[in-house]
Amino acid sequence: MIFFNHKEHKGLHKEHKGYCLNQICLCDTLCPAFVSFVVKKYLFSFKQKLIILIALLFLLCNASFGQAENNNEIISDIAEELAAEDNDPDAASLYLEYFNDLIENPVKINLMDENDLSRLFFLSDFQVKSLADYIRRTGNVVSVYEIASIPGFDQHTVEMMSPFISLKVNDGVSSDSLSVRSTLITNFILKPGEYDTSYLGSPLKILAKYRITAGRFSAGLTTEKDAGEKFFTGSPLFPEFLSAYTSYSGNGVIRKIILGDFSLRFGSGTSINTAMRTGIQLTAPGFMTLRDNLRPYTSTDENNFFRGAAADLAVRNAEVILFYSRNRIDATPVLSSDSVISSIMSFYKSGLHNTSSLLKKKDLLTETVYGMSLSYNFSFIRVGANWSETWLSIPLQRNANDPENIHDFEGNKNRLLSINYNTVSGRIMIYGEMTVNNFRNLALVNGATLRPSDRLLVNVLWRKYSNGFTAFNGKGPGNSSSAANEQGITGNFSFEAAKHLFISAGYDVTHYPWLKYRCSFPSMSRKGEIELRYLPSEKLNFEFSYDYRYSMVNNQKTTGIAGIEGLESRNFKWLLRYTPDENSAFTTRINYKTAYPSGSRGMLLLQDVYHKFGRVPVTVWFRYCLFSTESWDSRLYTYENDLLYSFSIPALSGDGSRSYIMVKWDIRHFGEVRIKYGFTEVTEKSGAGNFNDEVKLQFRVWF
Amino acid sequence: MFSLHKTSVAFCFIFLSASAIGGNPFFVRTGAGERGTGLVCVMKNGFWSSFSSQSLLAYNNSFSAGVNYENRFGIPELGTCTAGMIFPAGKSSLGVIYSNFGYPEFKRNMGGISCGMPLSRNVSAGVQIDYFSEIVQGEYDKIRFITFEAGAAFSLSEKATAVIHIFNPVPNSIRKSLLPSTLTAGAEIDLSKTLFAGAEAEMSTGENIIIRTGFEYEAAKKFWIRGGFSTENSSFSFGLGYLLKSMKIDLGFSTHERLGVTSSVSLVFKIK
Repeated sequence: MIFFNHKEHKGLHKEHKGYCLNQICLCDTLCPAFVSFVVKKYLFSFKQKLIILIALLFLLCNASFGQAENNNEIISDIAEELAAEDNDPDAASLYLEYFNDLIENPVKINLMDENDLSRLFFLSDFQVKSLADYIRRTGNVVSVYEIASIPGFDQHTVEMMSPFISLKVNDGVSSDSLSVRSTLITNFILKPGEYDTSYLGSPLKILAKYRITAGRFSAGLTTEKDAGEKFFTGSPLFPEFLSAYTSYSGNGVIRKIILGDFSLRFGSGTSINTAMRTGIQLTAPGFMTLRDNLRPYTSTDENNFFRGAAADLAVRNAEVILFYSRNRIDATPVLSSDSVISSIMSFYKSGLHNTSSLLKKKDLLTETVYGMSLSYNFSFIRVGANWSETWLSIPLQRNANDPENIHDFEGNKNRLLSINYNTVSGRIMIYGEMTVNNFRNLALVNGATLRPSDRLLVNVLWRKYSNGFTAFNGKGPGNSSSAANEQGITGNFSFEAAKHLFISAGYDVTHYPWLKYRCSFPSMSRKGEIELRYLPSEKLNFEFSYDYRYSMVNNQKTTGIAGIEGLESRNFKWLLRYTPDENSAFTTRINYKTAYPSGSRGMLLLQDVYHKFGRVPVTVWFRYCLFSTESWDSRLYTYENDLLYSFSIPALSGDGSRSYIMVKWDIRHFGEVRIKYGFTEVTEKSGAGNFNDEVKLQFRVWF
Repeated sequence: MFSLHKTSVAFCFIFLSASAIGGNPFFVRTGAGERGTGLVCVMKNGFWSSFSSQSLLAYNNSFSAGVNYENRFGIPELGTCTAGMIFPAGKSSLGVIYSNFGYPEFKRNMGGISCGMPLSRNVSAGVQIDYFSEIVQGEYDKIRFITFEAGAAFSLSEKATAVIHIFNPVPNSIRKSLLPSTLTAGAEIDLSKTLFAGAEAEMSTGENIIIRTGFEYEAAKKFWIRGGFSTENSSFSFGLGYLLKSMKIDLGFSTHERLGVTSSVSLVFKIK
């Protein structure tokens, strides 16, 4: 196996300093055999070897390498919003998984691949087209600051993009070259306070990733074990989660071929979308994109990908994607009287198998999916059609006793047919998609994006998912993860009101014609948000936002038939961020929330400090937060910087403080160590305090 | 034996002192000039504010001393006497402060040693070690705390400054007793050569956020008038200041919705 040498490696980092958070590091002397040795050692005798490893790392440490790493506001805004969504508990986790993937595989904007550019989910289709057109006309972008001068872009958008993009063209590897790039990232995450006696395995979380790129070919392998899980399970013994792929990318008829695990999206995602749901934030300008996208799968969500083969072919203006997948996924079984699995009651999506009962859900079901997408670009319109079929090895059985589930899918075969269109005329783009499953249930999405000037962008999206619409691997735009029983309209705009002043706002009204979770009657929800950003200089950022939420739930106080109760919350947020230089940032934030009908109030004041030392390869994040809420209804969510491939968005309730300090230590070209200590203190009315603390430790090693 | 009447009166004053100060009664904000601007002081460069926000000590490079007396609501038992000194020490400055609140049956003493220094052209930082003792006569224990407070000041531009300050970030579980923590963030701007305006937000453990705004205007040479407002008890403030050679005299007043007026007078001597 050939490895990069240090000189090339340093050169790559120099070129990328400040643009890619987690650029992969390459070393030339270490081999995978050593990695497995390290994994074994630390898996079975971690405590004894920890001190030795730390001492070893101290000896190796004498240099730093640049990674611009900070708490990007778009990340925290969306993550907190998703964490607060009661009807989609996994949304924040999926989002951050996607975010990790985006950091790890930044978008190479100079390749002008609009499908790849659309991975920057906060960009609108106009911006994607504008950026691709600009590069076609003027050549490669050489600095991120150049992007701000492109029509449709501004300083704020560039700031959002910068951690997720790369300006490299071809990784320095010619298409004919046989040079090989390889990378490996290994994480150990230890949470001493969270050990549970019911755990089947060690409390360590282990993640290993490996990738090889040779010209147009690439291959990758990902393996993961969550805290409390066994590293090897099943018979024969296999890693708890193992994902691998090989892919070929071309410019001719064959655009891409993937064997192994892959991620796929057709159109707006109502039929097939294993990536992130679009339109998740009201004020995000990238409201909706309508593109087919086939990519190798490199994330660690254990149930949200395809396993098999896929090909993307293009002839002139026509494009075809074909795929076949056969994957084992988790589910909750229904047992017959003789303890035989007769059906499944639901899919189990968290991917956690650290207890005996959860392990029984692992790989319970074989899901076979195949299909194709055909699209054609006319001069004025792009049209597409796709078809897919899903077969489940065990039928899905709905709970007939609950009227909420009366329209739910039942059986083991789901056929999806979909057509979509996308047309641009001047400054207006109109798009839409219609999907039907099993010729019964319909999903309709139609929208328009209007750009009256370079400083104003307006989006409108209407959607309707009939009761019982089912797409096991779909994630269309909408308010809930299931995307059924929903009809709504959403609009937003973003406007550069003056130099350095940006205003964006959005409003959404959704009706639910049938019963849903915690709501035993047809209901509706409303949400609105307005956000002002003032960026007087590169060093200063003022932000104010107000959001309003209204939803209907069962009134628990009544007996018999549930009454109707409207839940309302209003959240104000002020934020001041000061960045004196590229190595420091100070953020002050105030949140004020009111919740009705309880009438309770919640507020917090927090201070974040980020500093990267110049002389030693150490980066520090510090947060001190005081909060006071009158009840659980007015709880507040705060996104925290955390270990890689881990996240923390604590819900703060009561009177108290939440603080943490995290230190990252870059160890030459070898790896990094992260240590996070956090504590939460809640003071009771009596004056007594509840104190919880946690220590997290992570090693990341590159070879 | 200490009488029940005196004990109950003592506790009444404890409550009054806490409610009158607002927020955290242990986080000392002193100085008549600061009182006049509605206690907007974490970013206001001055002698007394250097003890509320030690990062400002970096800008006080002269040897100076000051005394302050504050009387709350015209009740002698709620008076606070404070004395402080600042010593320049190279690029840094050191400070010492002592404060006494109360009367023989209930006393709260505070002593602090502080240091502030510039970290770069636009950033300065400071820290103060605090010692508190609270004495209630009778069968009650004397309470003693040691904690610290720290902050940083940022020159956003030639005319604007922002400050963050944390008082007592130590978890109470370590101390085994409750000492509230306070986080303050504020910004000031020099609207002209003679007009300063500032605002700050403060939150203490178990308390609501307090927003304060204030201004200081040099109405004549060496003569200042001040005003301010705090959301805590909807309190308005005003004050005056005069520089007489090397001595500065300040008067400050603030109102309380129900309890009346708090007055404060301070003298600051610039020795060298």
